[in-house]
Amino acid sequence: MQNILKHNYTKYIVFGIIISLMPTLAGIGLIRSASVIVLGAVIFYGVVAIGLNILLGFSGLISLGTAGFMGLGAYMSAYLTEILGLPFLLSLAISVVVPVIIGSLVGLVSLRVSGMYLAIATLAVSEVFRLMFSEFTDITGGFSGMRASFPSFFGISLSRDTTFIFLVVILVLLMILTDNFVNSSVGRALLTMRVSETAASAMGINLLKYKLMAFALATAYAAIGGVMYVHFIQFSFPTVWTVMLSLQILAAVVIGGIKTIFGPIIGAFVVFGVPELFLNRLPIIGDIPGLAFMFTGVLIIVVILFYPNGLIYLGHDIKRLWLKNRKSQKGGETA
Amino acid sequence: MTILKVENLSIAFGGLKAVDDLSFSVNQDEIYGLIGPNGAGKTTVFNCITQFYKPNQGKILFNDTDLVLKATHNIIKLGLVRTFQNVELTRDLTLLENLLVGAHISYKYGLFANSFKLPKAKKEEKEIAARGEGILDFLGLLDKKNELTGGQPYGILKKVELGRTLMSNPKMIILDEPAAGLNDTETIELATLIRSIRTQYNCSILLVEHDMRLVMDVCDRICAISFGKKLAEGTPKEIQQSTAVQEAYLGISDDTEVD
Repeated sequence: MQNILKHNYTKYIVFGIIISLMPTLAGIGLIRSASVIVLGAVIFYGVVAIGLNILLGFSGLISLGTAGFMGLGAYMSAYLTEILGLPFLLSLAISVVVPVIIGSLVGLVSLRVSGMYLAIATLAVSEVFRLMFSEFTDITGGFSGMRASFPSFFGISLSRDTTFIFLVVILVLLMILTDNFVNSSVGRALLTMRVSETAASAMGINLLKYKLMAFALATAYAAIGGVMYVHFIQFSFPTVWTVMLSLQILAAVVIGGIKTIFGPIIGAFVVFGVPELFLNRLPIIGDIPGLAFMFTGVLIIVVILFYPNGLIYLGHDIKRLWLKNRKSQKGGETA
Repeated sequence: MTILKVENLSIAFGGLKAVDDLSFSVNQDEIYGLIGPNGAGKTTVFNCITQFYKPNQGKILFNDTDLVLKATHNIIKLGLVRTFQNVELTRDLTLLENLLVGAHISYKYGLFANSFKLPKAKKEEKEIAARGEGILDFLGLLDKKNELTGGQPYGILKKVELGRTLMSNPKMIILDEPAAGLNDTETIELATLIRSIRTQYNCSILLVEHDMRLVMDVCDRICAISFGKKLAEGTPKEIQQSTAVQEAYLGISDDTEVD
């Protein structure tokens, strides 16, 4: 019991409970009900960002194919539930497993290259998916998009507010699972590989196996995020799944803080939440087209230049500074 | 009894023959030194043994297994493990965690068991961590086990890297210039450590080194090479007296060029 309290689980669960209060707050009029949709987006993009962080932060690999795999999950689940009438949970499973298989095959071929070349290879795959979403009109509805409904399972049909809570549950679950394995031999192997591939293989770490694992995991998180997207937003259009989205998710990871669990969530909030919730409401500058992208772009530059560990360390650093200040004040008194 | 046998090893990079028909063998529980002037091909020999390079010719037998046929990441499973010239540890991990990376091949449970913290995975982690603490204790670093590796002094990093090799229960450790970057006191400490590793962990040690004092101090036998070829092999004393070695290091008194 003591172990449970000491463990990180507590902070994830507390975080989850706080977030899941948002629809209630909207219900009593404390926040606008449109904000709940924005926060829902922060949650599913947060899940995708956690996945990309496994790849980028822990394994040192890059992918620009995130949006493609997220879209694949979204379209598959919409098709399976709406057109084929499969139950939600079965559809969720299929819509994650199939992208993971495809992602692993892509990984098997493209992980022979690294860095810039890997980015280009994954970008190409993502663009192929995007074109398929708009061209295969019989399956995807083309530019008219694809509808989906709120999830229903075990005889319960969720509403918008309960779907939001369902998304929070998935997020917290994935945060806990991710925390567990990044702090195990698996996570250490990934980190060692990131620092030095030679050291990793000298220690018996099979590079291809672990790279492929990281790639498959990132794909799985992206597909889960896509399923969450389509059953919360209830629509999927091909124009959503562009390279711009992949870059925004990449930005979320970098801005929030790589190699952490909360970092990508903070990043997703900054990239996908802040412009909608605050910036666009500002007088005059709120009307500038493309303000959100400018905001993200400037923030990336600022963070990389001045805060390479990401915004997650902001709180940590402020606390340290405060403690140091207090200490020096105390020191001054005794002297 | 021979543990490592290098037979007629040759490797060329383009037209340059980095190692040329080199043969030597290391006995069980022996501390064996490989020395040579800069560019002699020591590190290349090293990388051939650990299969980072595949030799063009020759055999490398470790306990009668031909290493050339093995993938790089499988070498450690045979009980052969190495360190690096420029300490390759992960800064984001603690000292203990870096040691646990050395035990990677001991972990039976993977992603699934660890994601759900299954009891068997937790038990495994605990057992291996206990082994790691034992080794940190042996190195005198137990009180630092939870400190991050980044920012530790170089001498400590070298020890941690040695500790990481011990985690794999090796039969033989290959050290790539362990004294590089250490001061005199640290070098003497290292010599003691290398000797006690041999006695406590029953393993042979092959050491590639620049620092003559360390080599002469700890090695039972030495092989001196120059331009990829063997110059001499023998006890430290024999090597010191060998004219071929003296010429390679100091040059010949008349006209020929000096390395």
